Amino acid sequence: MGNKMQKPANENLLEIRNLHVRYNTDEAVVHALNGFDLTLKRGETLGIVGETGAGKTTMALSIMRLLPKRIGEVTAGSIIYDGIDILKASANAMLKLRGKRISMIFQDPMTSLNPVQTVGSQIYEVLELHYPEMTREEKHRRVDEMLELVGIPPARKDEYPHQFSGGMKQRIVIAMALISKPELLLADEPTTALDVTIQAQILELVRELKRQFNTAMILITHDLGVVNEVCENVAIVYGGEVIERGTIEDVYVREKNHPYTEGLFGAIPDLVTDLPRLKSIPGYMVDPTNLPEGCKFADRCGFCTERCRRENPILHRLSDTHFIKCHLFEEGSNHE
Amino acid sequence: MKKRRKNGGAVSGRSVWGLVWFRFKKNKLAMAGLFVLIFIMLAVLLAPLYVDYQAVVSQKITNRFKAPNATNWFGTDQFGRDLFARVVYGGRISLFVGLAVIMLSFVAGCILGGLAGYFGGVVDQVIMRIVDMFMAIPAILLSMAVVAALGNGTGKMLIALAVAQTPRFTRIVRSSIMGLRNQEFIEAAKCYGSSSARIIFKHLLPNGMGPVIVSTTLTLGQVIINIASLGFLGIGVASPTPEWGTILSETKAFIRYYPYLGLIPGACIALSVMAVNFIGDGLRDALDPRMKN
Amino acid sequence: MSENRPLVETRNLCKYFDTPRGQLHAVEEVNLSIKAGETLGVVGESGCGKSTLGRVILRLIPPTRGEVYYEGENILEYRGKQLKKMHVNMQMIFQDPFTSLNPRLSISNIIAEPMKVCGLVRNRREMAERVRELMEVCGLPARYVNTYPHELDGGRRQRVGLARALAVDPKFIVCDEPVSALDVSIQAQILNLLMDLQEQKGVSYLFITHDLCVVRHISHQIMVMYMGQVVEFAEKNELFKNPLHPYTKALLSAIPTIDLSRRNRERQLLRGEVANPINPKPGCRFAPRCAYAAQECLEPQTLREVAPGHKVACWRCQG
Repeated sequence: MGNKMQKPANENLLEIRNLHVRYNTDEAVVHALNGFDLTLKRGETLGIVGETGAGKTTMALSIMRLLPKRIGEVTAGSIIYDGIDILKASANAMLKLRGKRISMIFQDPMTSLNPVQTVGSQIYEVLELHYPEMTREEKHRRVDEMLELVGIPPARKDEYPHQFSGGMKQRIVIAMALISKPELLLADEPTTALDVTIQAQILELVRELKRQFNTAMILITHDLGVVNEVCENVAIVYGGEVIERGTIEDVYVREKNHPYTEGLFGAIPDLVTDLPRLKSIPGYMVDPTNLPEGCKFADRCGFCTERCRRENPILHRLSDTHFIKCHLFEEGSNHE
Repeated sequence: MKKRRKNGGAVSGRSVWGLVWFRFKKNKLAMAGLFVLIFIMLAVLLAPLYVDYQAVVSQKITNRFKAPNATNWFGTDQFGRDLFARVVYGGRISLFVGLAVIMLSFVAGCILGGLAGYFGGVVDQVIMRIVDMFMAIPAILLSMAVVAALGNGTGKMLIALAVAQTPRFTRIVRSSIMGLRNQEFIEAAKCYGSSSARIIFKHLLPNGMGPVIVSTTLTLGQVIINIASLGFLGIGVASPTPEWGTILSETKAFIRYYPYLGLIPGACIALSVMAVNFIGDGLRDALDPRMKN
Repeated sequence: MSENRPLVETRNLCKYFDTPRGQLHAVEEVNLSIKAGETLGVVGESGCGKSTLGRVILRLIPPTRGEVYYEGENILEYRGKQLKKMHVNMQMIFQDPFTSLNPRLSISNIIAEPMKVCGLVRNRREMAERVRELMEVCGLPARYVNTYPHELDGGRRQRVGLARALAVDPKFIVCDEPVSALDVSIQAQILNLLMDLQEQKGVSYLFITHDLCVVRHISHQIMVMYMGQVVEFAEKNELFKNPLHPYTKALLSAIPTIDLSRRNRERQLLRGEVANPINPKPGCRFAPRCAYAAQECLEPQTLREVAPGHKVACWRCQG
């Protein structure tokens, strides 16, 4: 298969630089991404956490170059995938990338499966598309293997999607995404539509498959807990920007955090602490049609100063792995 | 850089219908249709102000078959009547009977469809089977049968056409109500004890209006054609009262030699039907913006 | 009114639906009681009958059998004018903030509607006053009074839904997953608001959710449901400290947490998925997925008190 035997020139698989994306709708211009920066190493598992409208899905669609036509527009920045400039690549090159080297899993398994085709033939089709040189027998064998791996008896491959439950469907979607052995898997809220016990099963499966395939993964979710279960690194997104990035330990130890991350942690009821009231973040998500000049979080932030309103902070380095986009963490400044 | 709006979010208070109008305005074809329709409506509505009804009926045999000219803008017919006057007064029948038919069948359809969709079960079965029976007969045939049973006359034709269109509205209203009746805001309304009538008329129908309104405009075009067809077949509006279909019917023998006699009333029918259809298309896009792109 | 009498009580409440494949036992023999000013949390996964239970209690769905009492009166026997007592005392807030508000009505009309229907205000001025007051209680700025639902985001819509429920000044509110469609930061705001309202007005909640963390935060007592049956019932702290039913344990283990120490814990994964309780066998419905299933599980399991106030439907758990 992959006949690139030479050592990759760059250990970064994906580099997103200063990406700006907006949606031009009839009513308003929605600024979905505003200087989004991200690097992903080979084999890395990165969780992207943010609330509705933070730009998580827009980022994934930009990588796949699947932004809605005519409405979605990249106004600045670059996405480099293993040396290929995705924003400038030809449509043909994208076809080779999408589904083969980059796969995506969506939140709702119902919409990613064709209801009138058996699940086996849908997985088979992926191979047919990306591995035309493979023999029929080999393809069938691979489909069976893959189904086995995700915990579906291969005997059920001639059944239709509606004959499977939600969790089983998501397993099939995962099988479809991984059968082409992609280097990068984009999972957009893969367990949000599932029950907790099923979610636990799927997360276990994802952990297991990651060990086997060593695929790099971007897990997009609103749930800090899910990220803690499967990821090594985490990026917190707000208002179309990464506002904090670090290893799970850096962030979850909760010693130094962006005020928004701190707020998110405080807002989650957990099974350990006993508080009469949760510490909610005041106010609402920043309106992407109407962005402030300075820090996007300023309106809701308890540490907001005049400077925050004026000037958008840069990403400050706290350690080799931990970065925070907030004036409080400027070098030399003394926070708390 | 644009100045940031105060207070964060927009607080426009623009209602759903306000939003529909906002989107409708952007559709040029639909706006053109709306202007044409308004123009035709005003022209026929205000007819008595600028055309003497005498000109519609007074025959002057010496004046027959005059091609369009300065005094007779649309020329004259085989009896020497002014075609312009006849077309303008004929439009009153075509358009206003059409509107009346639509309104009648709209109201009937809302009530029947609302009951069937909200209550379901036996009520639904009874109403819908009757509707199915009517649906099985082509509208024009059904209208002819009703006219045959009730006799000729504008009022009776109106009822005949309304009966023929009601099943269509009933179906559309029913299906849109059925899609809504399990929504949580209906459960909420039941929680505080709203009556069934209040739920149907205040909560269900206003929300199910989208597809019904689109269908109203498209059906209006259909009905205008039906009126003309009935007129053309001689069972609609009785002569000498002008009506676009009747005019066509009366002049059909002379169309070969005097084509304007057929072209002008025909063009009026086509123009108003087209205008109405453009409005319908525009409304459909405005009501359901997801349909575009 | 005696102190001990519960505000809302159900006895042997059952709801079966007829489906083409047989009878679906959505709610089976549920007995619950909620005291004034307290919250009963109902936890379970999709299809466990928790939403049906809430709707049966409010008479939105007629029960197959059983009784629902409000202040000692069986509300299922209410007819005509009596129903008003139910409508002004028992309300509901819904899961989906996008379908629970009539999109054609302005915010003020949505909130005013229950008062109009129940005839609680005399004139327009009083109505406007009441609407403003309710909006303030629910944390909605007055400038939203003439806006429409589509102009608001999920959190604000949920506040409108709450204001509408409070409009009739109810003593009991069924909350059907009121925060599960919201972002965490907004979720916390709504939960806090619900708890503040309970403190101020003494309302009782039946809080239906799939989220154990949320239910732990807001409830006084918790009921765990599985396939239409109550499998465990206990006071909040007791349930989390000492979960007894294998299903409750599995649920607790499955929750993804932000706790770093739990990152590499031993996970108790459940086999298989929830089936539909269509024509169920008499035995424990959880047995097919249970790690401890045995011959005894084929016998019907009843809810037994194993410790004061702690009831479990599993033969293995002895008091």
